Amino acid sequence: MKQYDAIVIGGGHNGLVTAAYLARAGKSVLVLERRSRVGGAAVTEEIFPGFKFSMFSYVVSLLRPEIIRDLDLPRHGLHILPLESTVTPMENGDYLAAWADHDETRRELYRHSPRDAEAYDEYGRLMHFMAQAVKPILGMVPPDPTSFALGDLAGLLKLGKHFRGLGAERLHALVKLMTMSSADFLDEWFETDVLKATKSASGIIGTFLGPRSPGTAYVLLHHYMGELDGVFRAWGFAKGGTGAVSEAIASAARSFGAEIRCNAGVSKVLVKGGKATGVVLENGDELAARTVVSSLDPRRTFLQLLETSDLPSEFVQDIKRFKFRGSSGKVNIALAGLPTFTCMPDSAGGRLHRGAVSISPSLDYVERAYDDAKYGEFSRRPYMDIVFPSMIDPGMAPPGKHVMSIFVQYAPYHLNGGWTDAKREAFGDAVVNTVESFAPGFKSLILHRQVITPLDIEKITGLSEGNIFAGELALHQLFFLRPAPGWAKFATPVRGYYQAGSGTHPGGGIMGASGRLAAMRILKDGR
Amino acid sequence: MSDPRYDAIVIGAGANGLTTAHYLARAGKRVVVVEQHETPDPSADIGWVPDVVIRDLGLTGAGLRIETPDPWITAPLPAGGTLELARDIGKSVEAIRRISPADAAKWPDFCQRMRTLASVLERLYLVPPPDIESTDVRELARIAGLGLYVRRRGKQTVIDLARILPMSIAELLDDWFESDVLKGMLGALGVWHLKQGPRSGGTAFNFLHHHAGCTAGVFRPTRSNVTQALSKVSGVEIRRGARATVLAKNGKATGVVLEKSGETIQAPLVVSSAPPRSTLLPLAIELYPDFARAVSNIRARGVVARGTLTLEQAPQYSTFCIAPSLDYLERAYDDAKYGKDSSSPYIEVQRTDGRLEVQVQYVASGGTDLSSTVARLLNVQPSQLALRAATESLYHGELTLDQILFMRPVPGWSRYRTPIEGLYLCGSGTHPGGGIPGAAGRNAAREIL
Repeated sequence: MKQYDAIVIGGGHNGLVTAAYLARAGKSVLVLERRSRVGGAAVTEEIFPGFKFSMFSYVVSLLRPEIIRDLDLPRHGLHILPLESTVTPMENGDYLAAWADHDETRRELYRHSPRDAEAYDEYGRLMHFMAQAVKPILGMVPPDPTSFALGDLAGLLKLGKHFRGLGAERLHALVKLMTMSSADFLDEWFETDVLKATKSASGIIGTFLGPRSPGTAYVLLHHYMGELDGVFRAWGFAKGGTGAVSEAIASAARSFGAEIRCNAGVSKVLVKGGKATGVVLENGDELAARTVVSSLDPRRTFLQLLETSDLPSEFVQDIKRFKFRGSSGKVNIALAGLPTFTCMPDSAGGRLHRGAVSISPSLDYVERAYDDAKYGEFSRRPYMDIVFPSMIDPGMAPPGKHVMSIFVQYAPYHLNGGWTDAKREAFGDAVVNTVESFAPGFKSLILHRQVITPLDIEKITGLSEGNIFAGELALHQLFFLRPAPGWAKFATPVRGYYQAGSGTHPGGGIMGASGRLAAMRILKDGR
Repeated sequence: MSDPRYDAIVIGAGANGLTTAHYLARAGKRVVVVEQHETPDPSADIGWVPDVVIRDLGLTGAGLRIETPDPWITAPLPAGGTLELARDIGKSVEAIRRISPADAAKWPDFCQRMRTLASVLERLYLVPPPDIESTDVRELARIAGLGLYVRRRGKQTVIDLARILPMSIAELLDDWFESDVLKGMLGALGVWHLKQGPRSGGTAFNFLHHHAGCTAGVFRPTRSNVTQALSKVSGVEIRRGARATVLAKNGKATGVVLEKSGETIQAPLVVSSAPPRSTLLPLAIELYPDFARAVSNIRARGVVARGTLTLEQAPQYSTFCIAPSLDYLERAYDDAKYGKDSSSPYIEVQRTDGRLEVQVQYVASGGTDLSSTVARLLNVQPSQLALRAATESLYHGELTLDQILFMRPVPGWSRYRTPIEGLYLCGSGTHPGGGIPGAAGRNAAREIL
C-alpha cells in the first residue's frame, strides 16, 4: 500500500492551501473531498440551468496576500472584481449610500449628518490602522499564556511589545474593539442611526449575537482586514464565483504534485499507539500516511473522525464546549430582470446593482431580527446583504437575466420544532417579502429560488450546525483558545494528526491563514 | 492662597469618599467632606468591604455590622415551594438535589472554581490598575508580579480567566447546570446593575465581580452598614446639605463652591467621589478635547429602581429573588433595549435591619405601571411599595469589559488623577468600581499620598 507523506481531509479552501504548501515543499500529498467538487463552502454551482451561484460564501477579501503570492494564484485563474458600493434602503424611502469615490461618500454622509461626515474619515483611519495592527497576529501561531516554555514566553513578550508599540490611544481602541458591542462602539463615533446599523451589521455576520451584544465590535474589525483597495469595505467577487478561488488553489496544489480525490469521504482516522497512521474512507478503503491533516471543523475533526478514547478527557470536554450555533442562511435567486428599489428608482444609473444592498435600515431593526433568533425563530424581518454578481461578472447568468445572492441573518440552526421543508419555505418567504417591501415588484421577477438554512449548510458542506466560520468568532474562542486551550497550534493530542480548518486560529472567511499556518507547523515538525 | 483650615476637600460622604477622607486624615491632612444630602441614606451598603479597610480605619469599633444571612437566597419554584440556598455548601447541595440531582452534584465544584477566580479579582482590586503603557521598571515588575500571581493559581485558572471573563453568564451557567430556577437566580448576579441581558458577553465577569469578597457558595454581594460606621469614625469634618462644584484656575484645582450658600472652600487638593461625568463636565475640560470626549462616552445607564416594601409581618426570607430563568431575564432586558420598563422585571427583596429593600431591573422610565407590575409579582398592594428609578447607574459607570481596570473611568486616566492638577477621583466610577465600598477610596488615597 502506498504511504503518503500527508493526507488532507477536506477539500475546502483551507485544506487545499495546506496541501499546496506541503506539496510545494516536496511532500507527497493526497486531498480527500467527500463531495464531487472541491471548495467546501467556497463553491460555484449552476443551480438552475444557465444561472451560476456562489452557493454559500460569496465575497472575497480576507484571502491572505502571501498565499496569493506564494501559490501564484492569478496564474491559476484567480481574478478578483471589486465590489464598490453599499446602498442601505431606509424605511422612510430615503437611503444611505457609500460609493467607491471617497468624496462622493462624504457628500452623501453630509446629507444625513455633517457631524458624521466629519467623524467618518477619522473613524476610517482608526479602523484601517487597527486592522493593520491586528493583521500580523493573523499570521502568527498563538503563544500559550499558560505555558512556561521558552517559545511561548518569547511569543508572549513579542506580542506584548507589539501592542505597546501601538501607543496608548490605539491600544485603548483595541481593548474597546475586543470587548464592546458594535452598537456601543459606533455610538461613540456617529449619530446617524442607519449608518450605525449598516456598519454594525458587519459585526454580527456569522455570530449568534445582536449589534448590542458585547463582542460584536471585534467582528467589525475582523471584516475590516480586507486587503483589496477600497474605502467603505474592501470586498470583491472572484470571477466565476467563489468556487473559482478554490479551483485556483486546487490547480496550484496539483501543479506542485498534490493529488486531489473527490467523492472520497473519510469516516475515520486510523490511530495506532497514540499516533495517526492513515484514514478509512466511507467505502471502507484504507489509506496510509505519515501525517493526517483535518481541515474539517473541530467537532468533526475530533469527535467524529477519532474515538474519544484516543483523546484526553479534558480536551474532549473543551471540544464539546466549543460553540457553533449557526445563525445565517442564504437565498439564491434567478431573476428575469433587475428589481427597482423604492429608495433609488433610477438605480443611480445601475450603480446600485453593481454594489451591495444592505437591508439594515436601523439598529432596532437588526436588533429585533436577533431577538427572534434568540428565542428559536428565524427573523421575520431579517438583516440581509444582497449582491447581484451577474452585474459584475456577466458569465454568471444568461444574457439579460441576473443572479441575486442574499445572505440572511438570523436563521438559527436550533429552530423551535426543528427545520422542515415547510419551515424552509416560510423562511424563504420572509426573505422575499422583506425585499419586496423595499423593492415592490421584485417577486414578479423571480424565476427560481434556492433557500439554504443552517441545517442545509451542515448537510451539504459538513460545517457543524451550519456555522460559516467553523465555530463562532467569540472572544473566548479566539487565539490561544481556538479551538481549545493548549491546542491552538495546529497540532493535536494525537501524534501525526493536525488541524487546519477555520476552527483554528485565526479562523473565518475565505482567508486561508489557518491552512497556511498548519502547513508551516507540519513542515517545522519535520514531518 | 488656599484656605488655611483645610488641606483637602472630599466631595461625597458615601463609603468611598469617607474612606479616602479618613486615609488622608490619618496621613496628617486636614480634611473636610462635603455631602449634598442633608441626611444619610438609610439603605444598606452593598458589596465586599475589604478587610484591610476595616482594619486600617478601625471600623469594627465604629459599629460595623456585616450581615451573613443564612439561607442567603430564596426563590419560588414553578410547582410551588421555594429553593433556598444556604451558606453551607453541603446544605445547598441537599436543596438543589430536590430540583436537579445533576446540578447538585456539580455545585461544590462550581463554587470552588468561582471562588478561585473571584480571589484573583480581589487581588487586582486592592491595588491601582496595571498601567500597561508604563515603561517604568517598577510598574512593569508589578505587572509581571500580578501575572505570576495568577499563573501560580494553576494553569486552569489562567484558562478559566481568559475563557470566562468575556463570556456571557448564560453560556457559563449552561455549561454547568440544567435547572432554570438555579440558573435564573445565579444569572441575575451577572446582569446586576447592568444594561445587558444574561446572553451578553462580559456578564460572566460582572458575576465574578460581585462574587468578590463572598465566601464560596454565596452569590449575592455582602450587605453592611459601612457608610454609617465610616461616618462615626472621628478625624474628618463632614458638612451635609452642601452640594459642591469644583473650582479650578489655570489647570489647577483651587477648591469648591457650595451651591446653596455660595460659600467657597479652598484647598489645593480636591477629591471627588461623585460620578466622573458630573464632577468633570462643569469644569473647563473642553481644554482637553480627547479627555472630554472620553468622559462623555462613559456609559452609566440606570436600569434599576430601588425602594422599600412595607409588610405587616417580617418575612421568613433574607433575600427573595424573582428571576425564574435565564430567558425571563433576557426578555426583561429586551424591553429595556427599546426604551421600555420590563413587563416582567427581575425583582429582589432584601431584608436588612428590619427594613425590606426592593430592587427592580430593568427600568427605563419607572412610570406608574412599575409599582403595579412589581406589586402583582410580589403579591402585595402597590401602596406597600415605594420605588424610585435611577437615571444613572449606581456604579457611575457600567461594569463592562471596556470600562474596567486601566479603562476606568476613562482610558489612560485610571490612576485616580485628572488633567486638572490637584483634582482626583475616588468614587465607584474609578477602579475597581461599584459594589466594593471602600476599595476605590483606599486606592485613590494611597495614590494621592
